[in-house]
Amino acid sequence: MKIISIVSTLVILLFAGAAQAEDRVTVDPISPVTVRKGSSAPVQITLHVQPGFHINSSKPLTPELIPTHIGFTPPEDLVIAKVQYPAGVLMSFPFDPATKLSVYSGEVSVKAVVIPAPQGGTGTYTVHGEVKYQACDNNSCYPPKRMPIAFDVKVTSASSKGTTARPTRTSPHIHN
Amino acid sequence: MNRNLFAPVLILFLYVAVSGQPLSGQQDAGHANSHSTSGGPETGAMAPDFSLKVIDGRGKSMRLSSLQGKVVLLNFWATWCEPCKIEMPWLAELQTKYGPQGLQIVGVAMDDASEKDISRFARKMGVNYPVLQGTESVADVYGGLEGLPVSFVLDRSGVVSDRIVGLVSESVIEDAIKKSLTGNDNTKAAK
Repeated sequence: MKIISIVSTLVILLFAGAAQAEDRVTVDPISPVTVRKGSSAPVQITLHVQPGFHINSSKPLTPELIPTHIGFTPPEDLVIAKVQYPAGVLMSFPFDPATKLSVYSGEVSVKAVVIPAPQGGTGTYTVHGEVKYQACDNNSCYPPKRMPIAFDVKVTSASSKGTTARPTRTSPHIHN
Repeated sequence: MNRNLFAPVLILFLYVAVSGQPLSGQQDAGHANSHSTSGGPETGAMAPDFSLKVIDGRGKSMRLSSLQGKVVLLNFWATWCEPCKIEMPWLAELQTKYGPQGLQIVGVAMDDASEKDISRFARKMGVNYPVLQGTESVADVYGGLEGLPVSFVLDRSGVVSDRIVGLVSESVIEDAIKKSLTGNDNTKAAK
């Protein structure tokens, strides 16, 4: 029984390792957001571009390049606004030292604001979204990827500190 | 099997099965100046045949096997691939230089851009060889093409004589072409 348990754990780790090896970009778990009706609250999405890779910024310098983009599909009772991407870093790469590209590498923090809709209720909601990016290294570029994200938002009433939580409502998942 | 050995052996087996890597860490040899690639036709193997739509070809398709008798450089690229942009003018030069000796470069665009956008991009890059609209099924038989650019040099009978993964220097590409053109390949050259 003990052996089965050890082997099962290792199998899971091996599969996770294999999947991780293909992830040129990962995203941190997104902290839950609490927001009162009538106000707004920040949310931060943190991406990690693996060493040796870069991704295009949200505003690449040529139209053919695919920008990094985070799309949200919030429930009707929420609005995700003011999505702010960091400025890209202008870098040249060995494949074309004469040309600078606007890219992200390392840690990338994207900020946005969660606003409860005026007609919406209180309770806990789940916001789904996806990160779209396209990664390259110094010799090759890899096809655009979409990575699902999700975070919880607790909406409380404007007047009280506490709230009676309604059943969790979720935004539709994105299918592409 | 000894119970003490069972778990380690199973783990090693699963590692190889899951990672696809041999335990020695050795990777596919390929070209000296190229990266390794997983899957796809090895050098010495017949290149998988396909028929793909020709960009700007007024609906026509091109079948790879129709090019037997020529040395073919099959270049997989995409409009979003910066390294691909670097080598495209080189490939145009090489087509001009070695076309009379029997070289035919064929580009295969592996992205979702429209035919119009691919055509415009190829023209901007000075492409003077046919460009085909790639498909996932072709990508699959050529190793998945996870990273671009990837080129396969085929000898005159359609056998892979070299494969080049990632951006390399123009001279590396030219050497691979010359090797096949001079008949230093696996087959008798067609005249």
